[in-house]
Amino acid sequence: MTNALAATRTHPALRALLRNSWVLGVWLLLGALLLWYTTLIPVFGPFQITSITKNSLPLVYLAIGQAIIVIAGGIDLSLGALLLLSNVIAARFMEGQPVGVVAAIGLALIVGIALLNALTGYIINLSGVPDIVVTLATSYIWSGLALWILPSPGGGTAPEMRWLFTGSPSGIGGSYWPPLLMMLIPGLLVALWARTSRPGLTLYATGSNRTAAQLAGLNVRRAKILAYAIGGAMAALAGLAMVAITGTGDPRFAVGASATLNSVAAVVLGGIALTGGVGNVFGVVATGVTLIMLNPILIAMGVNSNNAQVIQGVLIAGVMMVGGLSAVLRERRS
Amino acid sequence: MSEPNVLLATQGVAKSYGPVIALRSVDMTVRSGEIHALLGANGAGKSTLVKILAGVQSADAGVVAVDGRAVHFRTPADAIDAGIATVFQDPALIPDLSVAQNLRLSRIDMAHFREWLAWFDLAQLDLGAMVRELPLETLRIVDLARAVARNPHVLLLDELTAALTADQAERVFALLREWKGQGKAAVLITHRLAEVMHICDQATILRDGRNVAELATAEVTEHQLVEAMLGASIAPTGNAEHSRAERRFGEVALEVRSLSARHFVHDVSFAVRAGEILGLVALEGQGQDRLFDLLSGNRQPTAGEILVGGQPRHFSSPYDAVRQGVVLVPGDRLIALLPNQSVQHNLATPLFGKLTSWWRIPRDERPRVNRAVEQLSIDTRAASQVRRLSGGNQQKVVLGRWLVSGFRTLLCFDPTRGIDIQTKREIYSLLRELAAQGAAIVLYTSELAEIGLVCDRVLIMHGGRIVDEQDAARATESSLLTAAHGLEAPA
Repeated sequence: MTNALAATRTHPALRALLRNSWVLGVWLLLGALLLWYTTLIPVFGPFQITSITKNSLPLVYLAIGQAIIVIAGGIDLSLGALLLLSNVIAARFMEGQPVGVVAAIGLALIVGIALLNALTGYIINLSGVPDIVVTLATSYIWSGLALWILPSPGGGTAPEMRWLFTGSPSGIGGSYWPPLLMMLIPGLLVALWARTSRPGLTLYATGSNRTAAQLAGLNVRRAKILAYAIGGAMAALAGLAMVAITGTGDPRFAVGASATLNSVAAVVLGGIALTGGVGNVFGVVATGVTLIMLNPILIAMGVNSNNAQVIQGVLIAGVMMVGGLSAVLRERRS
Repeated sequence: MSEPNVLLATQGVAKSYGPVIALRSVDMTVRSGEIHALLGANGAGKSTLVKILAGVQSADAGVVAVDGRAVHFRTPADAIDAGIATVFQDPALIPDLSVAQNLRLSRIDMAHFREWLAWFDLAQLDLGAMVRELPLETLRIVDLARAVARNPHVLLLDELTAALTADQAERVFALLREWKGQGKAAVLITHRLAEVMHICDQATILRDGRNVAELATAEVTEHQLVEAMLGASIAPTGNAEHSRAERRFGEVALEVRSLSARHFVHDVSFAVRAGEILGLVALEGQGQDRLFDLLSGNRQPTAGEILVGGQPRHFSSPYDAVRQGVVLVPGDRLIALLPNQSVQHNLATPLFGKLTSWWRIPRDERPRVNRAVEQLSIDTRAASQVRRLSGGNQQKVVLGRWLVSGFRTLLCFDPTRGIDIQTKREIYSLLRELAAQGAAIVLYTSELAEIGLVCDRVLIMHGGRIVDEQDAARATESSLLTAAHGLEAPA
């Protein structure tokens, strides 16, 4: 038996690479797409980088939140609606306010919506109703609330906040490093926290095998509430990014619904098993950007935007099939 | 409970699951410096008691006391905090995390853990390895080392040695001796009586949810332990209802030769003839479920062959087995049924695969189904949804679907578990009737009394092997249980 153990032992760095091969793969895919994009358009420079990065921010935030919830064994269909809620509250109350008030509102939104979604997690624990049903219901509540707060598109925010998420006080052009940092820092922080901290590992444990986690003395109910709280905080951040990018609030239901679906797509593409407990959050940063990038690429190729969704679907199915096939092959070899 | 050296005590602990009473009243006392065995036949309530002591479930009544103080565990974490560390039958390690991450989660001191690993020559174990990549026996040791590293007062080990090699088991015993030398205690749940005699000081014996005896192992024999588990009911179980002498068996319907499945089933050979009911007796976890998986095509053997009507056959799925007339009534009824469908629909399910015309149900479906309902006297008051039937009626539906479709060999895995006595009798006589009509039946049962009532011949399985064969008419619960523990019959 000791021999068998020795045989499977590999260098830690190599093993870390192998274990995160899916993350590496999706980042390489994103890199390849970017390279291809540079050949498709006449000029590729800082402007394009800024544009892609800032436009990806809402989806990337939402996907990080969704990833954490899925890892803990849940799924949240209300994240898009929470994005709407954060978006309209920010647009309605930040308009014309000094930067201090704007920052306070932003922080209050992140904390408040995190608590709101923690309540959803608590209700799921308490009622035993499946996550997908409870969050579907709450998604309608939050969407309705958003329409009530801001019946039609409008409102605005402070230039400082627009600069934070877009790199420019007016939201046009600007430097690319603020949105890039706003994307990578939360992504890396959450990914690292989930993989190394004790609460983060508890999320993985709960999603991987709830009974075993419980028997090991972990509080699986608290883990679920924590996951939903993080999901809520990320949705609030996504809503803030949306105000900063567009300069107004948008309460339309369809915006939230499609954001939710895209977050699930990014999570699945990012190698996070919908059954829970498996995957790395940093992968969904790449897949979130990939999903947003498909649009400009297809436009640059001259594809009708009606056909763009078909191609998006084919891409998701194709990538997932690669994943499924490689899993089957690995099993057959062992 | 006022004795100073009592580490763990229960008084009148009771637990029911709905109408099923798992524990009636259990008093158990574990003292410091003691290895305490918890023994009992299947269904005596051992696992329920372990769950209560480990905080997985809470008792309906009674008191659990640790170090003389009454405690109330609401979660496993509470039990751990109170100084009771449990190694469960199924590893409680998270498969998608590394060993080191699992230990971090449990707040285990790494140096302390490594010391205990070294005890098992596993000091070189790569803690960065994923749990799902490690072999089962290694995980058992990791689980044990984790429990010990928590430095509890009482260790609770549920069937720990079942997955270990003899050498590793011996090291576990050495560890336990060291453990009790430190004034701590351990409770051992095991089917291996040899281990009990070897390592344990005291044994509490459960029967029907009560503690019926506490014995000092130094003063009793293994056979006395078996007798205590069985109680007074050591009488031949055979009955005169069926005069066996008249039975004639036909051709061999199903035969297996040297069938093996890695770790679970070793070199099993037997044959069952048309008209014969072959019983199988085993304690929990002796490979019987895996054997039934192999026979029914759910899993493939690693060695050996299965012959149907003298021809070697390969079952790559249950579909192949059913086509050869080998059908299964599984241990869990609900996995075999479509719970939201009607009785009729469930009974007709096996016919769906036979539809020659894809858009029309064969004309004879209805009469066949009705005949089965009648023959089984299924209570059809709740016929629109099978899940609303009682367990006994559900089991009849599972049996009935094979009556509808026809079969040659019937595999029954504990078909009367949790079923009322009336329905049990009906199922027994149905099995006898089927055999009389020429069916071959393999019946695994956890109720030893059934062997004499229903079977012609009985095989006893232990540690994945067939260890004994007895004539069902002459077998007693005592002779069966003795053999099932892997012991020789008393002289």
